[in-house]
Amino acid sequence: MTRSTISVSDMHCAGCAGRIESALEGIAGIEATYVNPARRLVHVEHTADIDPVGLLQPIEDAGFHPSLSRIESGSARQRDLLKRLGIAGLAMMQVMMFAIALHAGAFDGMEPAYRRLLQLASLLFCIPVVAYSALPFFSSALTSVRSALRTRSSALSMDVPIALAIAAAFSVSLANTLSGSGEVYYDSVVMFAFLLLTARYIDDRLKVRFEDANWTLAALPEHAPVVHPDGSLHDLRLGEIGQGSRVWVEQGRQIPLDGVVTSGEATLDESTLTGESVWVRRVPGEPVFAGTMNRGAGFELRVTSTVADSRIAAIAELASRAQADKPPAARLADQIAARFVPAILLLAALTWLAWQFADPSQAFVAALTVLVVSCPCALALATPAAITAAMTRLRQCGIVLTRSDTLEQLCGIDAAIVDKTGTLTIHDPVLSDVTWLADTGHSRTELQLVAAALERHASHPLARAFQRAYPQADTSQVDDVEVIPGAGVTGRYRGRNVRIGHAGFCGARDDDERAVYLAVDGVPAARFSITDPLRGDAAAAVAGLQSAGIDITMVSGDAPERCAALADTLGIRYAARQAPESKLALVRELQQQGHRVLVLGDGINDVPVLAAADVSAAVLESSDLVKSNADVLLLSRRLGSLLDLLAVARRTRRVVRQNLGWALAYNATAVPLAALGFMAPWVAALGMAGSSILVMSNAARLLSRNRAPLADGRGGTSPGRAIAPLSNPGLAQP
Amino acid sequence: MTILLLLIPISLLLIGIAAAMFIWAVNNDQFEDLDRHGFDILEDRSGDDDS
Repeated sequence: MTRSTISVSDMHCAGCAGRIESALEGIAGIEATYVNPARRLVHVEHTADIDPVGLLQPIEDAGFHPSLSRIESGSARQRDLLKRLGIAGLAMMQVMMFAIALHAGAFDGMEPAYRRLLQLASLLFCIPVVAYSALPFFSSALTSVRSALRTRSSALSMDVPIALAIAAAFSVSLANTLSGSGEVYYDSVVMFAFLLLTARYIDDRLKVRFEDANWTLAALPEHAPVVHPDGSLHDLRLGEIGQGSRVWVEQGRQIPLDGVVTSGEATLDESTLTGESVWVRRVPGEPVFAGTMNRGAGFELRVTSTVADSRIAAIAELASRAQADKPPAARLADQIAARFVPAILLLAALTWLAWQFADPSQAFVAALTVLVVSCPCALALATPAAITAAMTRLRQCGIVLTRSDTLEQLCGIDAAIVDKTGTLTIHDPVLSDVTWLADTGHSRTELQLVAAALERHASHPLARAFQRAYPQADTSQVDDVEVIPGAGVTGRYRGRNVRIGHAGFCGARDDDERAVYLAVDGVPAARFSITDPLRGDAAAAVAGLQSAGIDITMVSGDAPERCAALADTLGIRYAARQAPESKLALVRELQQQGHRVLVLGDGINDVPVLAAADVSAAVLESSDLVKSNADVLLLSRRLGSLLDLLAVARRTRRVVRQNLGWALAYNATAVPLAALGFMAPWVAALGMAGSSILVMSNAARLLSRNRAPLADGRGGTSPGRAIAPLSNPGLAQP
Repeated sequence: MTILLLLIPISLLLIGIAAAMFIWAVNNDQFEDLDRHGFDILEDRSGDDDS
């Protein structure tokens, strides 16, 4: 099974995506295809014997220009669109001025020679708009008509009525200018083209911003210095660096590949991954991720994955999958829009026919106005634009959605089930207390270092607590080290047998299964207590959720005593000794009481619980991202980002409703007015293209970061993103 | 009103110049990154390595 990614730069909408999907359907050897119109990418999973180049042909036959390049930057496309927009804007200013003179002349009288002159001048400025600026509409309309003819379907893209309106208005105006009689509509043509290009430009910028937020892979360096065994550095391409290689990361450079710090201490800006601007410190043995920035001194890392398997690639993959998957509301709008186009063409024809009986001289204007005014662009853009903007905003806060209907679901949430370990508390155990049990003839410091040296050999999560507490431990002090899986580590220190592990392994008795004992010559000498510290912002996040009307229950597999104190501090209910089955029962019970349940956990275990929840969210520490089954991934180590998420979800719902309401109300009032001849074509152009721009700009409001989260008075505050300190960075223990 | 015979060609010329300047600006990356330069003032680096 191989995976190929094809970039299709001229894919615009869901209609194009559907055509590409059906073009690849039924080809032997293709296991799965998914098309992402936002990123203009097609992902194909196929058997290894298929040459990916062969996959381009069917897409090309469907009328697109595919290529195998992995990443296509949005800037060439943006530049092209910006030039077309600029030319249309400059021409529009001139044509509008002539139009004002012509309209004034129509009322007050104007010598035919000057009328002619102004019309000719308007024509001159209109030609570049039709021939250059509006070209994408014509070519896209042509592609759509061709493919509709071939597949005998009536699904035409919205560019068809647009192109038809521009072409018809321009050619009638041209004929009237040359013959010297009748109306001209150059002003409507240029305004229509300019406003539509503006809407398209905003749409494109939104998509590019989403790509940028997501695709930091593109910003990874091409080469990285690899450390050879003799200590020399050699630049190698990222693709050539294998797992286990050692890479040197200079100050101010991006980490090129996922790995583990081997020497030195890393001070990292992980905001590209987590959205957190507070720098974090990573000591040897701790993981670092590609795409993050080294703000401290240089350090060395041991590579643990390839570029394609890196965490940042996995995030990009998950997020763009959600982008490709359309929420039900957007799918419905697409279906309406697809049926709308043939209906508009029919309506325009009927209008023309009806006016033939009433007043043939008005027939063309009325038909043209109907064609222009009824284009359902705003309706089709309303939901996807808002969702793209919201997902971009969330991605910048370190929140990744893996399903697109999650935002809709989140608005109804009124109960939450939160895991204790790893969610409310930090997954990294901390050494909280040492009790000395017997005198062994060694000093306490000595024994602590021996314990840490022994734990250096263990891979158990508790061992990390020792590595953090005693980074100065020296493994060479202890010989004959043997790791006994599931029990502990044994060794020799100054000729004496030392062992570290759980109580039974060291000859002691203890109810706390997380206590670690150190024994010297079989006598328990020290007891180390290990706890999971509460996440820094857990209390604030819990309070915020409660004031947003969400009822929180903490669940844990731990004993009730361990839960009670914590639940008390936070002021929430708890359920102790919970197995996955009882958690599932709890979710079901809440749902039966009519609650909509959010499950917050590590997102990896408890798959049935995650599936049963209305929305599942995961706080990710170092767990494997790809294994995560959650709908929402909180990449920042902040529970508070859950509040941001809820705020964005509510704002998105409001924006979608405003957009759909506006688009529907606009079409319902404008179409009858146009058909009855109460509207000039230029008013129609302004109305139709203006409402697309309105809808896009309304969606773009979701991108702004300086609005207070939960601004609708439901409480909960969280400061905006602080600028990272330039010196003396605030270091947070990860 | 014969002045229009002069003014219209002049406007054509001026718009032509404006369009040429605009296309030059787009082609020379003047609109590539409208956000970043605002933050330059916050960087206390004196080098010019990535400008």
